[in-house]
Amino acid sequence: MTAAGAAVAPGNSRRVVKSVLTRIGFYVMVLLLGVFFALPMLWLLAAPFDRTPTLAAGVPDFTFDNFVRVFENPFVLPSLRNSLILALATMVLVVTAAALCAYALSRVHLPGRDILLYVLLLFSAVVSGTAAMVPLFLLIFEIGLINTHTGVVLVLAGGLMPAGIFILKDFMDSTPASYEESARVAGASALQTLRDIVVPVVRPGLAVIAVWTVVQVWGDFLIPFILLRDPELAPAAVVMFNFYTEGGQANLPLISAYSFLYSVPVVVMYLFVNRRYGFRFYGGIKR
Amino acid sequence: MARVTLRSLTKRYPGGVTAVDALDLEIADGEFFALLGPSGCGKTTLLRTIAGLEAATTGQVIIDDVDVTRLPPGDRDIGMVFQDYALYPHMTVQDNIAYPLKVRKVNKDERRGMAADAAGNLQLGELLERRPGQLSGGQQQRVAVARAIAYQPRLFLFDEPLSNLDAQLRVEARTFLKRLQAEIGVTTVYVTHDQSEALALADRMAVMQRGRVRQLATPEEVYRRPNSLFVASFIGSMPMNLLDAEVVDGALDIAGSRLSLPPDSAEHVTSGDRVVFGSRPEFATLHDEPVDNALEGQVAVAELLGNSYLLTVEGSGLQMRAVAAEAAPNGTRVWVTFDEANCLLYRRDDGGLVGSPRVEGDEAVDADAPRVAAARQ
Repeated sequence: MTAAGAAVAPGNSRRVVKSVLTRIGFYVMVLLLGVFFALPMLWLLAAPFDRTPTLAAGVPDFTFDNFVRVFENPFVLPSLRNSLILALATMVLVVTAAALCAYALSRVHLPGRDILLYVLLLFSAVVSGTAAMVPLFLLIFEIGLINTHTGVVLVLAGGLMPAGIFILKDFMDSTPASYEESARVAGASALQTLRDIVVPVVRPGLAVIAVWTVVQVWGDFLIPFILLRDPELAPAAVVMFNFYTEGGQANLPLISAYSFLYSVPVVVMYLFVNRRYGFRFYGGIKR
Repeated sequence: MARVTLRSLTKRYPGGVTAVDALDLEIADGEFFALLGPSGCGKTTLLRTIAGLEAATTGQVIIDDVDVTRLPPGDRDIGMVFQDYALYPHMTVQDNIAYPLKVRKVNKDERRGMAADAAGNLQLGELLERRPGQLSGGQQQRVAVARAIAYQPRLFLFDEPLSNLDAQLRVEARTFLKRLQAEIGVTTVYVTHDQSEALALADRMAVMQRGRVRQLATPEEVYRRPNSLFVASFIGSMPMNLLDAEVVDGALDIAGSRLSLPPDSAEHVTSGDRVVFGSRPEFATLHDEPVDNALEGQVAVAELLGNSYLLTVEGSGLQMRAVAAEAAPNGTRVWVTFDEANCLLYRRDDGGLVGSPRVEGDEAVDADAPRVAAARQ
C-alpha cells in the first residue's frame, strides 16, 4: 500500500477488500454459468469431427467419417428437405397472414382490440404446446390431414401467428399513417398502398418474423412427431430421435454429425438476415 | 384550377366531438386561402374533409360545381403536403415525386421527365437520387411540395407544412411558397396555427374556433379590424392591448382615466355600456409629460424588437404595450395615447365588435376571452 493508502481508515480498507472479494465471486459464478452453457456448443463443434465421439467435449481426433456415414443413412437428406418444406411453407403463411392481420389491427380501431391480441398471445403458447396435443391430433385426424405436411404447417402457423401479429403490429404502428394518406390522395388503391408503401417500410419487421418462424419450425419436434406417421415425411428434428445403434444406445457419431448439419442453415440464415436488415424487435422506437 | 364550396359541412367524431360545425365557405379560383386557429379548432379536420381523408358527417364539399363529398381522395384531383411531409423513406427523391404519376399510369419516361421538371422548379435537381433520410428539413419540405405539384392537380392542400422547419428557414420557405403559388396559380388551402404565416401568405383567411369560422376576411382586415375579442387576442405577433372600459358621457372610462371614443364606434354605444378597448402596440404613442386622452403608467419592461422597442407600461392596475423608437429606463413615468383611427371597442358580454350583430348562445366568446389575452401577456 502507498502512503496515501495507509492513511485510509481501517473501516474503509475493509470495505475495499469486501468489494474486491464480491467482484471475484461474481466473476467465478459468471464463468461457471458460461462454461455450463458453452459446453454443449463446444461438443457440437468438436464431436462431429471426432473419430470416437463421446458425451465429453474435447479436442477431436479429426475425421470426416461421421459425415460420410450420415449421408449413407437413407433418411438424412429427405428429412432435411422435409424440414425445409415445413419451415418455408409455415413462414410464407405466417408472414402473409400476420402482416395483413397486423396492418388491419393497427389501422382499424376495433373495440377490444388490445384484449383480443393479448388473449391470442396467451393461447398461442398452448396451441402448439403439449397441452393441446390430444385435441390437435383429433382435429387434424377428423379433417383428414393426419400424416400430411399441410396439417403440420397449419398447426404450427396457428401457434406462431399471434406472436407474429403482435410484433408486426408494433412495426405497423410505428409507420406514420400519413404515408398511406399521401398515397391515397395521389390515387393509390388499398392494395397498391400496401404493396408500394407499407410492405417496403415494414420490411425489417417482415424479415424478423420470417427468420423467427423458420427457426421455430426448424427446431420443433412435438407437432411433426405427433402428426406425421410416415418416416419419409418426418423432418430433421424427428428423424434424429431415431438414431440408435443396434444395441439401443444413442448413435453418437451419427447424431453429432447430423446435429451439426441441422444447425448450419439456421446460423447462416441468422447471419445473412442480421447483416441485411439488422434485427429490430423494438418496432416502437424510432431509428 | 378550381373553386371550392363547402355547404353546412359538419364533422362529428364518434364520441361526440364536433370538429367542424355547419360550416359554409366559398374559396375562389386561384385563391390562396388560409385556415387559422388554435390547436383543436377543427382546421386540420376541415382540410382533411376537403381532401376526403375524413368523411363528412353532413353537408357537402363541392369542387368546381361537382359534389365530391362521397368521392375517395384519389378521385378529387388534389395535391396535399402533410405536416410530416410523408416522404416514402424507401424511395429516392425522384421516385417519391413520380409516385403519384405512377399511380396515374403515366408511362415511365414521361413521369421521369415530369418529376425532374417539378424537382428543377424547386431547386431539387441535384438531389434526385437521394433518399429522404439524406435530406435537410427544408429540402424534404420542397420534395413534398414537388410531389404535390408534379401531377398538376387543380387544388393544393397544405397541412402546416412549415411547422417542422426552424424559424429562419420558415420565413424563406414561406416566401418561396407564396411565389410558387402565384406562378402556377392553383387554388390553395393552407392550414396553420401560426398567425404570422396566415397573414403573410393568404389572399383571404378564415379564423376558426371550436369548429366555426369566427372571421372571414383578407389578412389586412383581420389584422386591422378583428371582429371579436377572440380574433383580436389571437392575431398579431405582439398581443393587442385589451383593456376593460365603460362608456361614460360620450367618453371611455378606463380605470379612472378618460379616453375619447373611437370615432367609428361612437354611434354604437351608449352611456353605461361595458366594453373592452382594443388597440395594437404599434398604434400607441408614449409621451413623457401629461397629455389629454392618455393612460398613465410606468415603464416595466423594455424589449428590443430590432429597429424599435416593445415597452410594457403598468399603472392603475392596467398593463399596456407600446412600440417606441427609443427604450426608456424602467420606472419612467409615461403617458400612453392611442391612434384613434386604429382603436376598436368590443362588447364585454359576447366579445363582438360594437355595432356588429350579436353572437348568440355557445357561439359567443365567453367572458374569459380578455383573460386569454391577459394570459398571453
